[in-house]
Amino acid sequence: MDQLRLTEYLKRKMPHASGLRVVGLKRISGGSSRETYAFELEWIEDGNQRTRPMIGRRDPTGGLLKSDREREFRVIDAMHRAGLKVPEPLFLELDASVMDRPFFIMHRAPGQTGMGAFPAAEPESTRLKVANDFIGELARLQSLDYRECGLEILGAPKNLEDPARIQTAHWNDIYERDRMDEQYPILTAAFAWLKANPVVSDRIVIVHGDYRSGNYLYDENGIIAMLDWEMAHLGDPMEDLGWASMLFWGRDEFAGGLMEREAFYRLYEEKTGNPIDRKRLFFYQVLGNAKMAVICLTGIRDFVERRTSDAVMPFLELLLPQLLGDLANQLRLV
Amino acid sequence: MLRPTLNELISGMQRTIIEALMPELTSPYAQNQAMSAIGMLAHAAAILESAPAYDAAEIKDLRTTFAAIKRLGDKHLSKKSGLRGALARATRASTKAPPDRRAMEAAMAEFTTAVALGQADDRVARHVRGYLGRHLERSRVLLGGASPSA
Repeated sequence: MDQLRLTEYLKRKMPHASGLRVVGLKRISGGSSRETYAFELEWIEDGNQRTRPMIGRRDPTGGLLKSDREREFRVIDAMHRAGLKVPEPLFLELDASVMDRPFFIMHRAPGQTGMGAFPAAEPESTRLKVANDFIGELARLQSLDYRECGLEILGAPKNLEDPARIQTAHWNDIYERDRMDEQYPILTAAFAWLKANPVVSDRIVIVHGDYRSGNYLYDENGIIAMLDWEMAHLGDPMEDLGWASMLFWGRDEFAGGLMEREAFYRLYEEKTGNPIDRKRLFFYQVLGNAKMAVICLTGIRDFVERRTSDAVMPFLELLLPQLLGDLANQLRLV
Repeated sequence: MLRPTLNELISGMQRTIIEALMPELTSPYAQNQAMSAIGMLAHAAAILESAPAYDAAEIKDLRTTFAAIKRLGDKHLSKKSGLRGALARATRASTKAPPDRRAMEAAMAEFTTAVALGQADDRVARHVRGYLGRHLERSRVLLGGASPSA
């Protein structure tokens, strides 16, 4: 992002502000599906000097996901209006001539984040508050009516059988597109299993699509904001729970590094008032491992085919043995 | 021997990044990318050394596994499952010079699918599971068992 162009853009978006300045614009790591920039916005309004920390998210030239920035912005906006813990979205720009590629600007929430499982070094009191918020926010998300949130744009499944079928077909198609003619017998078998064992949802909810440890900002008081809404869609409530509780994000009995897995499930049942359907949960944990493996293949392909120069992408290969091993265990292939 | 060797070259490039580039980089993003590039070079060195043995072991194991399944005889491969055709393709691929690894892996994907769907005979499934277990172990040795929490 260019500082001068960004400043001019924000001046147009904030005509009431004078002396507007973009300070300390820098690209930051994280949010691999978009280029992410941090900066401070300074301006004078009603005679008062204002400062606000900001994030700019711009479409990448390549990367992990092919997602729609308008969709992501609309979802964050709807979640913000519904009172969920998300950064406040401010401006969406789809005109690529403004900053070479579409982008959006949102408030930069405070707090820290991690790569994956909740850091084991954090105090237990923080871990338990984050765990409680993590499940609590998921329960709130799943209690929302997507129509009231104006999120029909996400495409409502026609019936309760559709969510499993649609997600399986979606990720299987990307697998076929991005495997670069390589063969992954376990992944091929996993998609065959998913097609042969579809589950039926009990309702249609807003699905975050990447609800896991590592995708939130937190401090000692709990979660401040849930991040990375670019894979949001409508589907089965078990999908986010299955993804969040995958062994991959925790690698031990602590789901996401947050809470012992069975306690995690009990807390979910308590907060949602809905019993967990273990068959559906298992289906979405299998789908989750397959989906994550496919996301790795997409990143690798974009690196190999020079759509991205992000040096993290080739390391995605290192995640495959774990994901394929988890799938093999789930499907009793070893 | 040509000097620098490949390993010496890679190690030198890592030093260049650490000693010459890193001190000049002010952006945290650029610093992270430089660190990843150092890791990428280390990974490349390890792969260059280990990949030939990994590939050879994979081809040998696929060939041995399909040969073992073939010895079981057609009665263990139901016509309906399509595995007889997959085995014939795998056998042809394994006798090519050099062996057609992708074709063998494609056939293995069919066998793995049959096992996942409970459509494979127990004795066939045992051979497939044996191969998959060894394949995963070789992958872990080559690439490590990384996860986001690692």
